[in-house]
Amino acid sequence: MTMQIQRGKVVTVERGARGQRVPGAGLLASMAVVWKHWQGSFRKNDSFEKIHGTFTMEYPEERPRLPEAFRNMPILLYDEASGHELCTSCFQCQRICPPQVIHMSQAKDPVTGKALPALTEFVIEYDACMSCGLCAEICPFDAIKMDHAFELATSDHAGLTLHREQLNRPISYYEGIAPTMWAEVKDSAFKKLQGNIKRRPDVIGMAPNLAEKIAARRRELPPAEVVPAPSVSVAPPEAAKDDWSAKDVTGVWSAKDAKPGEGRESSAAAEAPPVAGAPAAPLDDKAARLAAIKAKNAAKKAAEAQGE
Amino acid sequence: MYDIVDALLNRTFGLGWPGWSVALIGHLFVASLLFVVAPFQMLFFTYYERRAIARMQDRVGPNRVGPEGIWQPLADGVKLFTKEDIVPDVADKWVHLIAPCVVVAPTMFMFAVLPWGPGMVPVNLSVGLLFFFAIASVTTVGLMMAGWASNNKFALLGAMRAVAQMVSYEIPAVLSLLAIVMLTGTLSVVELIAYQGGLFIASADMPGLPDLGLGWIVFTPVGLLAFLVFFVAALAEGERTPFDIPEADSEIVAGYMTEYSGMKFGLFYLAQYLLNFLLCAMAAVVFFGGWQGPGVGWLYAQAISPANPDGSGVFNVLAGVLGVFYMLAKTYGLFFVMIWVRGSFPRLRVDQLMDFGWKFLIPLTLVNVLSAALWVALTRWGPEQGITFTAGWSPLLRWGAAFVATGAVNIGAYLALGRVYATAQAGRGRVDVDELELVTTTR
Repeated sequence: MTMQIQRGKVVTVERGARGQRVPGAGLLASMAVVWKHWQGSFRKNDSFEKIHGTFTMEYPEERPRLPEAFRNMPILLYDEASGHELCTSCFQCQRICPPQVIHMSQAKDPVTGKALPALTEFVIEYDACMSCGLCAEICPFDAIKMDHAFELATSDHAGLTLHREQLNRPISYYEGIAPTMWAEVKDSAFKKLQGNIKRRPDVIGMAPNLAEKIAARRRELPPAEVVPAPSVSVAPPEAAKDDWSAKDVTGVWSAKDAKPGEGRESSAAAEAPPVAGAPAAPLDDKAARLAAIKAKNAAKKAAEAQGE
Repeated sequence: MYDIVDALLNRTFGLGWPGWSVALIGHLFVASLLFVVAPFQMLFFTYYERRAIARMQDRVGPNRVGPEGIWQPLADGVKLFTKEDIVPDVADKWVHLIAPCVVVAPTMFMFAVLPWGPGMVPVNLSVGLLFFFAIASVTTVGLMMAGWASNNKFALLGAMRAVAQMVSYEIPAVLSLLAIVMLTGTLSVVELIAYQGGLFIASADMPGLPDLGLGWIVFTPVGLLAFLVFFVAALAEGERTPFDIPEADSEIVAGYMTEYSGMKFGLFYLAQYLLNFLLCAMAAVVFFGGWQGPGVGWLYAQAISPANPDGSGVFNVLAGVLGVFYMLAKTYGLFFVMIWVRGSFPRLRVDQLMDFGWKFLIPLTLVNVLSAALWVALTRWGPEQGITFTAGWSPLLRWGAAFVATGAVNIGAYLALGRVYATAQAGRGRVDVDELELVTTTR
């Protein structure tokens, strides 16, 4: 029955001819329902579709069944087979992190000083991390993923700033907690990892906890890494380096990439004494770099002297 | 107790102590036993209730503190003891302090007339039933003190509602027991139990039945209706859902107990559970025969008792154990029904509560009193009282006639009164279109 009043509609639901039945029968029916629940509660309820049975999860003996996409706190992945971490320190997760709790620094090539696709340090402040998962979403290398760990309560505040060693997990761990999600990205992640491994010299980029693997790899490598001549700093014309507009850019770039001994077309190259100092001081990259800088300065002076 | 102590001291040990000292020792022993037993009962009841109500709500209940959570009540007790005792500044200090005592003490008094087994009643009063309910009423004074002394308007309102509830539900409780008293002709609790020996019908009505201890009053129509009314009234008396307006865990803070913390609150809690235990126990005694059950009568016949001073002490123990077992089984069973009711129904509003007590239960109990008179007339009265048509009937026939007559009267009255009450309540629930229009129109 619906009645219309000024404020709107009032709907009355008739609950049947209550007055005809035995008074108190409804009460007994309710008690019967509760009795069934009492009886049924001695078994465990395993599905939310059913209404009888105990829903209690006896934590901590019983763990909650977490869905794969449950996200709580990020972790870094490394490949157990090769020992290499997937992270290339591209800074995308650091950029996207809303509370800005990710900090990292990129590894540099010890000889050339160039940036390498590997980490030297990686820090996440777990106490401020809100587990939004944006870092995992944006990572192009599937290196950072969301973990399922929620039992993180502690009285040690400083211990919540986690470093690379504490954040590292083998791929098999992530495969265990989120198999479908890993299967989707596995191939592309491994492909990128192979590419990155090629660009990482000696043991840079390997997970620090895999000490034996690192030692084994070190043994594999040739004993003396010939430090490449600091051709990079010598080959391109110094003037060209400072004034890009006037010079042939492609020429500069090709000179930069040229191997030592090649592409010395520019006049400055002829002047500069070939940096023979480098082979003369083997395995001493610092000395080599120092020699290279000296050579550079000498070449510069020579060029200026000539230019005058 | 006197006989046992007397037998122990004067015969086994040969000390010739005078009667008054034997009685004193007996009473002191029983009193201390009760002061230990009562809180343990209450602790067990809190645990029992929490587990049972949890199961009804599809969960498990406390099971962490000790095996299956049996130390949970102890943990609760420790918690209450260690809480800070806060007394509001503007409260009436002495009354605030004494109110919990005034609520607990009469409840402890009620244990004095409760028989646990054959011959195991602390004080054998000839008016035990009257004493039981008279003392129970004194607790309402304590409730009023608690509400007033808190100097809190809402606590005062809560206290007044609690007092109104308790006072108005004592009437159907006592009237239903009045019918039983008419049936058995005695106010003494011990005699009430003795009346309920026999087999499915009271043996006092028909001597010669085997004593299986199953002659419970609840198996008669008068007894059944009286039990139902008494049980509902006991729910209201003990402030249990659906009559727990004063406490209303999920609504008002705690009614008259609002300004109490720590052990004072614990005392109110204790008093409430003890009262519920005692009401369940009294229902078990009056309607289900108390300690009566198969075997107890036979064992007790051979034990030391006023009727048999030369019995054997062993049988006392055996009869006592079995009797206590039956008594507690019935009490705990009735408490389970109280918990079951708590798990099934929502709370009554205070006006619905008062209506239910005064307009439904009391008329029902008055009809029951009439039925009880009918029963007595048919089973016991004869030509001297003016009932001539039953002269010459066998006891079984008289009993059968009484059963049928009272059954018809009770069922008819229940249905009729039920319909009247239901229509009256339904009439109050719906609001007229005009009234609704009046109430909701904005100018």
